[in-house]
Amino acid sequence: MIFLGMSAGMIGVLLGGTVAAVVFLYWLKPPPQRVIVPSTMLWDRLLKEKKRNTWLDRLRWWLSLMLALTIGLSVASGIGRPEFSSLGRDVRNITVVIDNSATMATRTADGFTRWDHAVAHAGQVLRQGSAGGRFLILDTSGQAPPGEPGDRRSALEVLAGLTVSLGGEPEFPDLPEGESEIFFVSDGVMVDEAPPEATVISVFEPAHNVGITAFEVQALPSEPTRYYAFVQVKNASYVEKQITLRLSGGTEGGVRDTLTLQAGETRSRSIDLSSFGRGPVRAVVTADSDAFPADDYAYGFLPIRAQTRVALITPGSVYLENVLADVPRLSLDVMKPAQYNPQVSADVYIFDRFAPPAAPRGPALLFLPPDVAWLTRTLAVVEAPEVPDWNPAHPVLRFVALEDLRIDRAAQIAMPAEAAEVVVGNRLLPLVLVSEQSERIVRVSFALEDSNFALQPGFPIFLANTLGWLIDEQVALARAPGRIEVPLPAAAVTNLEGSDIVAWPLSDRTVFLADQPGLYTVVAEDGRRLRVAVNLASAERTSVNDSGLASDEITSATSTVMAGAEPGPSEELWIFLLLLALVLVVAEWVTYHRRLTV
Amino acid sequence: MSEKGTLFDDEFLKRLEYLNLVANHMIPGHMHGEHRAKKTTSSGIEFADYQQYVSGEDTKNVDWRTYLRLDKLIVRLFEEETDLPIYIFFDASASMGYGVPAKFDYARKVAAALCYVGLLNQDRVNLVGFADGIAQELSARRGKHQVWHAFRFLESVEAGGVTAMEKAFKGFFSSRRRRGLVVVVSDFMDEAGFAKGFDMLRYFRQDLFAVHIHSPEEVRPDLPDEVLLEDAELGTSQRVRVTPALLDAYAEQFEEHCEEVGSYCRKNGWGYVRSTTDIPFEELILQVFRQGRFLR
Repeated sequence: MIFLGMSAGMIGVLLGGTVAAVVFLYWLKPPPQRVIVPSTMLWDRLLKEKKRNTWLDRLRWWLSLMLALTIGLSVASGIGRPEFSSLGRDVRNITVVIDNSATMATRTADGFTRWDHAVAHAGQVLRQGSAGGRFLILDTSGQAPPGEPGDRRSALEVLAGLTVSLGGEPEFPDLPEGESEIFFVSDGVMVDEAPPEATVISVFEPAHNVGITAFEVQALPSEPTRYYAFVQVKNASYVEKQITLRLSGGTEGGVRDTLTLQAGETRSRSIDLSSFGRGPVRAVVTADSDAFPADDYAYGFLPIRAQTRVALITPGSVYLENVLADVPRLSLDVMKPAQYNPQVSADVYIFDRFAPPAAPRGPALLFLPPDVAWLTRTLAVVEAPEVPDWNPAHPVLRFVALEDLRIDRAAQIAMPAEAAEVVVGNRLLPLVLVSEQSERIVRVSFALEDSNFALQPGFPIFLANTLGWLIDEQVALARAPGRIEVPLPAAAVTNLEGSDIVAWPLSDRTVFLADQPGLYTVVAEDGRRLRVAVNLASAERTSVNDSGLASDEITSATSTVMAGAEPGPSEELWIFLLLLALVLVVAEWVTYHRRLTV
Repeated sequence: MSEKGTLFDDEFLKRLEYLNLVANHMIPGHMHGEHRAKKTTSSGIEFADYQQYVSGEDTKNVDWRTYLRLDKLIVRLFEEETDLPIYIFFDASASMGYGVPAKFDYARKVAAALCYVGLLNQDRVNLVGFADGIAQELSARRGKHQVWHAFRFLESVEAGGVTAMEKAFKGFFSSRRRRGLVVVVSDFMDEAGFAKGFDMLRYFRQDLFAVHIHSPEEVRPDLPDEVLLEDAELGTSQRVRVTPALLDAYAEQFEEHCEEVGSYCRKNGWGYVRSTTDIPFEELILQVFRQGRFLR
């Protein structure tokens, strides 16, 4: 920690100012008072002997000035915390690499963390260096700014600005060229390789830890609307642990389970989320004496609603009605086109060979809609078109195979001016077109009756995917803590509490920093939305005892600076300076009151 | 210094009356003698004593009868009545203006009191104010009726100049003055040294009574740590860093100075009294009386 540390220039100004102030105050001393006496005869006689000591008087004046200057300079120097390279130290250059990987956040028995100990050790190593040496602080997560070695003060400032990085891939940094003693302060868990010439200072201390090493909210491929939470829990402690696992949703439901895991054991659970409502899902593991809380939490997002209202407007479609009737948690309202009323309220509208004159008030799936004003017009009718290509990465086509799709007749529709994506076909002949306007639209340019699509095994999955996508039902992106990129341009990011997170909106993506696990919502300017579940969920990070270092071990290659050694005189010089000033002030006070000044 | 006309007020005069009564009580009948002293000489009327003849002495007083009987040369001595004058010298130098009350005022009161008693004792009293010479002089007076004249003279004198007793005494007694009692009221702060002045009195064979006056502030001055001391007479200044040790040394020096004056007087058989201005002047006068030199 640097307190009132000053640069050499500031010290010079401070000391110069102090000298000037003291000398100025001496000059400001008022002239002696004139007193008339009857005769100076006796005084002259008395002072004759003293006149022999005039040089002593002058010396005393200078001595008094020097004393005042010494006091002033001592106090000023004490404030500036000076260091002198001549105080018994050789000039040495020191490079300290400090491990700030996730496991350094593990709490130790004394209540501090490994990181706290590492910072203390690093600071101690820096302070033990000579004042004339060059110092450099580097870290395993790339937080420290790259640069050449500087003075101790700059290195201490860099050290003070470092934090534990939960994410990323920590590694031993590249060292600059030049002669320097290298110190590596680490717990040896995530970064266990250091150059042989480095002195490794261990801050490792065995600790209890249980954590979630994997967490995912996922639908079964065979049943797209049924979601499960996959949880993997590890006991990284060196003793058996009884662990409580809790899953909770946004508003409804919750699951609690108790596991007993042996030391080092990992266990997985799949938990049905049917009883959960749409929204965030939070998994928490608790165990006694847990020293690494960052992996005790994991977040996901359950996209499906408990009950989705679907309005099917069709002249009659056995395929659609049958498939939709089997979709769980779906309330289906089937009506003829003549019965359609714009006031009909539904979460999703499915128009089969029909389109209302005005756009519906919700997302819609359309099969071969006729030309209406709010849709691009039909250019032509294409007989037996090929299915040249499709995008399996799009959510609506997830787990859907279209190799066997045959179409007798399809409409060649014009591409809309606004952003739209062809997921089946191409821009000349879009067969399935998705667009995200004020409402999401999936437009299929052929009728089910004109193809074998409804007979394909992937059709129910397509319907479930489409329903999910239309009502914005996507699982969250899984990311590790740290720098996160999402493929939404110029988006705003909020956390679970709704607080804004600082983000860097770029033209093609948005970048933000998520230091802690949590569920983040990213919303683009055009309304598109993504959820990002940031979880530590890493067996490597949970294994906080997986270290090759012993507790408080120092593996020294060449260094003579030892962690834990008493600080040198240069470190605490300001204390001695202030003590000197105090002693001089007391001495002056005593001599003044005893009138020993002359 | 007090203004003219207020120095010798009624209260002062009452005190003088008191002193006169005390003087009468101490030397009964002294008011009847118009002489200050009787002296044995070879001439006179009343036989006083015999004395061994010393070679060179006038042989007219040799008692030849005794010589015939005893074969020794014996001289007869006779008592001669004298009318010795009193010279009251008061220091009117600038240094006497120091203190509260000023030493000069105190000195004038002392001079006035002695003058008063002397005049009532039918002595011939001279009042002389001196500094580096004779500042002002009131020629010899005798008789009570001269008191007011003497008081007016004392009130008219102002302090100033440097002290030079040798010059003052030499100047005064060089003009064929009679031998008498010289009372010097002064602080004896003479740069040339008081001894030179006293030597001059010895030279003129005068009898001296020294009245040494100083103010309490002189003995233990209250000075700041750093001070520029200015001489009241010479105007010279001296920078001094004052400490208790220095003040102690000064007090010791002052005491030595007073002791030197007193020793000199005692060595020569002269009277010497010393007082500070915070002591009522009548007490000082009584000290003078007790020494028995002024009243005979």
